[in-house]
Amino acid sequence: MNLIRTLTALCASAALATAFAQAPANQKVLNFYRAGGFESLDPVRQFDSESHDIIAMVYSTLLRYSYLERPYKLEPDLLERLPELSADKLSYTFKLKKGVRFHDDKCFPAGKGRELTADDVLYSFRRFADANLNHKSWFLMAGAVEGMDDFHAASAKAGPTGDTSKLPIAGLQKVDSHTLTIKLTKPNPLFLFALAASSSSVVPQEAVRTYGDQFAVHPVGTGPFTLANVERKGTLRLLKNPNYHGTYPTVGAPGDAEKGLLKDAGKRLPFVDVVEMPLIEEAQPGMLKFLKGEIDWRALDRANFSKMVVKNGDGDFRIADEFASKFSIYWAPGTDLTYTALNLKDPLLGGNKKLRQALAYLMDTQAEIDVLQNGRGRKLQSVVPIELVGSERDTGATTYGYDVAQAKRLLAEAGYPDGKGLPALNVLYAASSVAARTSFDLNKAKFAAAGVQLKGVFGDFPTYLRSLETGNFQISDSAWQADYPDAENFYQLLYGKNGPPGPNHSGFANAAYDKAYETARLMPNGPERIALFKVMNQIIKDEVPVIIGRNTLRFGITQKWLSNFKRNLFTPEFMYLDIDAARKKKGLP
Amino acid sequence: MTWQSLLRALWRGPQSRVCLLVLAMFAAIAIAGHTGFLPDHEANVGGSQDLPSWHWATLLGTDVLGRSVFFRVLAGAQTAVTIGFITTVLVIPFGTALGLAAGYFGGWVDAFITWLYSVVVSIPDILLITAISYSLGRGIESMCVALAATSWVGIMRLVRGEVLKHKGKEYVLAARVLGAGPGRIMFGEILPNVTHVGIVTSSLVLLGAVKAEVILTYLGIGVQDGASWGLLISGASQDLTNDIWWPLAGTVSAMFLLIYSLSVVGDSLRDALDPRVG
Amino acid sequence: MTAFVLRRLLLTLPTILGVALLTFLLFNAFGPDPVRVALGQHATPEAIANLRRLWGLDQSLPAQFLGFLQQIVTFDYGKSFVTGEDLGTQLKDGALVSLSVTAPPFFVGGAVNVALALFIARWREGLTDKVSRALFIAGMSISGLVYVLVLQYLLAYKLGLFPISGYVRGPGAVAYLALPWLILLLISMGPDIRLYRTLFLDEAGADYVRTARSKGATEGRVLLRHVLPNAWIPIITNNVTSIPFLILGSFLMERFFSIPGIGSLTIDALSRGDLPILKAVTVLGAMALVLFNLLSDLLYAWADPRVRLS
Repeated sequence: MNLIRTLTALCASAALATAFAQAPANQKVLNFYRAGGFESLDPVRQFDSESHDIIAMVYSTLLRYSYLERPYKLEPDLLERLPELSADKLSYTFKLKKGVRFHDDKCFPAGKGRELTADDVLYSFRRFADANLNHKSWFLMAGAVEGMDDFHAASAKAGPTGDTSKLPIAGLQKVDSHTLTIKLTKPNPLFLFALAASSSSVVPQEAVRTYGDQFAVHPVGTGPFTLANVERKGTLRLLKNPNYHGTYPTVGAPGDAEKGLLKDAGKRLPFVDVVEMPLIEEAQPGMLKFLKGEIDWRALDRANFSKMVVKNGDGDFRIADEFASKFSIYWAPGTDLTYTALNLKDPLLGGNKKLRQALAYLMDTQAEIDVLQNGRGRKLQSVVPIELVGSERDTGATTYGYDVAQAKRLLAEAGYPDGKGLPALNVLYAASSVAARTSFDLNKAKFAAAGVQLKGVFGDFPTYLRSLETGNFQISDSAWQADYPDAENFYQLLYGKNGPPGPNHSGFANAAYDKAYETARLMPNGPERIALFKVMNQIIKDEVPVIIGRNTLRFGITQKWLSNFKRNLFTPEFMYLDIDAARKKKGLP
Repeated sequence: MTWQSLLRALWRGPQSRVCLLVLAMFAAIAIAGHTGFLPDHEANVGGSQDLPSWHWATLLGTDVLGRSVFFRVLAGAQTAVTIGFITTVLVIPFGTALGLAAGYFGGWVDAFITWLYSVVVSIPDILLITAISYSLGRGIESMCVALAATSWVGIMRLVRGEVLKHKGKEYVLAARVLGAGPGRIMFGEILPNVTHVGIVTSSLVLLGAVKAEVILTYLGIGVQDGASWGLLISGASQDLTNDIWWPLAGTVSAMFLLIYSLSVVGDSLRDALDPRVG
Repeated sequence: MTAFVLRRLLLTLPTILGVALLTFLLFNAFGPDPVRVALGQHATPEAIANLRRLWGLDQSLPAQFLGFLQQIVTFDYGKSFVTGEDLGTQLKDGALVSLSVTAPPFFVGGAVNVALALFIARWREGLTDKVSRALFIAGMSISGLVYVLVLQYLLAYKLGLFPISGYVRGPGAVAYLALPWLILLLISMGPDIRLYRTLFLDEAGADYVRTARSKGATEGRVLLRHVLPNAWIPIITNNVTSIPFLILGSFLMERFFSIPGIGSLTIDALSRGDLPILKAVTVLGAMALVLFNLLSDLLYAWADPRVRLS
């Protein structure tokens, strides 16, 4: 008996040893990249996309967005199921998953990560509401939760050295170790979006206490990956968390199953063992690396797009034949809006509605999409991107298109026949990039067709913001990226109370619009809300505080050994992806 | 040395002669540009990113908006010469005047100017130029001012050194005995003996400004509207991965011609004017 | 000697003060507003006021300047606005990385350039001289940006001789640094060799050298034994003052080759108005420059007895 047991043990350990020895060789490594340094890995201190991508992989939030389903829906992440709403629509009850463990880290006793509980969630919310910590994303919960605004103001008064740990937040109540309730100040369907934002990630107090200032570069979470090293610039390595609590979705959008996106449905995540993310800021080195097979997935910019993608004529795209055996392309509609704001405080533009309407007819968004973006965009008819509920698909909105004849007619009615007497209008850009300049050059030529002269003012982001705030501009090239997938996030761009320094660049303040917005804002999606959207669209079309532009189509290219890929604009895809290690080792054909 | 003899000295070497003609050509381009005789670089002459062909307009092909790259390179030449000229016109008189004052007056004046010099020199040029651009806004004028603010130190130091050498010379003492005031002595007596420094340095300042514009525009500080070599080169970086090399080649060749000629002529100027040589 | 050193050190104080004043004026008073940059389009008046208070930007300008002076004296520039991280570690890491990019081509290139300049001085006025002069002027006529673009494209991508970009810490970095080193070397050759050549030729025309030649020494021996020992003084002292700028790194190389050094850190800080980093880099850089200038003067005094006696 003893002999057999010993022999079995020996064989087992030998097998294990060989398995371990082989593991590195069969390791699945996802080679990606990052285009910029992250600002902070402390969830409440960041709001940039580079930080967000990493935090979303290392931490978890209460809710997250669906990976495959569109339009983007909220799903439970740390919760067992979506929260229950009380009868008076003011309270949500959250039930946390059991057995979710923080990563192993030396801040925990014996270095082993402990289970996440409701206390951690409450602690993270308090950090979120601390005015000394959270400057950038506080607006997501401002005014929403009972008692939180008082706490926020008190923390500001106490200052960074003050102690706010004893101050209560009335609306946050712990029920038991895995249940909590949140009471809102009023019914607010938008509140749940804040719980899917990476800034509301759940953090352990041990890590914050142990690392202090260095917590921003020493994240400890419950996410699918841990960080092997933290370098602001340089290469980041993420390692698989073998105890991650998430699984691959079982439901997809129509057509996903056929594309093979559901083959791993229900399986434990993540699939890859390592994610390598070197910093590559310039476009040329990044593309060169992809073409050599050193990167698994890359966004396609204009220059590379024209070389590698062919338009199918019916609005569809496919990869150019010479690359078809090596790579695959994808495209996804963005949740962004590019538009042109007209400064209503400018004496020339503010009082002359016909002039603004004339300018709207001179903006050739379609040409900009075709020539400068190679068709990678869609002209919008309302401020809401097509992917969201409430877009022109639901409201049937229409807006101006390029029409020189109409523009000339309106110019004459505005008092500037053929543009005579109209001084050159300055157009403010947020960057001095080649893209900005080329875009300006294109518009300059188009506007000149009706006799309107344009002057370009290129700066950088701080100068741009300053000019907007002081009102020192006439026309501004503006853009907005959705904070969360709801139409309200775009209609608020024209809300009177959001004037500079807020995102309402034109300073539009229309009583009827504001009333409609305030009513629609907190409504759940439905026919009543759509009706209000229609009212707001009509006001925008009539008054022309902004010229509605386009929303981007995001294109990218992937290696053939990458699977499960579907571009998601709210959740980083890494934890869902899979690599065919053997095929990748062989390299490009 | 008179202007005629200077020109004759420059004309002597064959290389110097060719470079002088090249500079004259660039000056002509700049003048033509400012008087409106250059072809319109914003006009559409062809399709998007065409290959070069044997027409004037499409000699270097077209860019993404169908504009002639060759015409844009010419417009860029105008911008480059303008920037170099403005910067030089700002730097040389300013630096010379400060150098004269520092060298002649000595004492507190010298101490102050030398302090100013060491402060400017201690801050990396890029930081200084960028910071000044933020205060003054973007564009050609503010960039020239920013470039001048970092370039005046060289000539100031050289002039000051020369003035110190001349201060004790007999002709200065003689002028003082005759009752001449400091202004008369500085500008009337000493200045003619130190102008060679300014002339030689001006070619260096010019080509430094042209080269700096490329980097500054790439960083987003420099030229905004219109065409400049910096804009063309920045744009060319993306085209290169698409094997579109002609815009870069054209711009670099034009820039090379200008700077090479400036260097050669600058060398010849120094050889002709420097009292130590020859 | 100590009196000389002390006096010089004392004289540097006004310079440092001047640098602090200029930096403060340009960045604090006129530069981009870091609060607006941090908040972007999500700014509200309340958030702006809150952040200004936290970053000490709500104080009056003179008060802020006094605070800045205090930071200089204590060498504690606070935390970065953008990342909230302690600056000391960031700067130290970045400095080492930047040095790894700029120091090797500087020193190796220095030696190479001196050797080449000697060689050209040996064969002066001949074909070598004329051709090399033309080549070096040509090299100087091309912007550094173009060097990077073209060489990265040709050597790294088309021919695959070097990695395209990236950086790893430790000895593996050499593979990633080779191309930046090469480019920096090439860019420095033109101006440096021309300068050294002029220095050598100036020295080579001196009387004592003519004496040596008349005594039968070959040109090569003359250059090595007589010219070089005298000409190296200005060469060295000239280069010593460049050393502080090595630490600041070459932002161009760091940008294109994704090397995480101080150069790229500074350029990022510039666009975001990250004042602590900008102030720290500028003032520390100025201090280093002042120190190395002093060092260079001391070297000159030690090497040239005439200066010491004055």
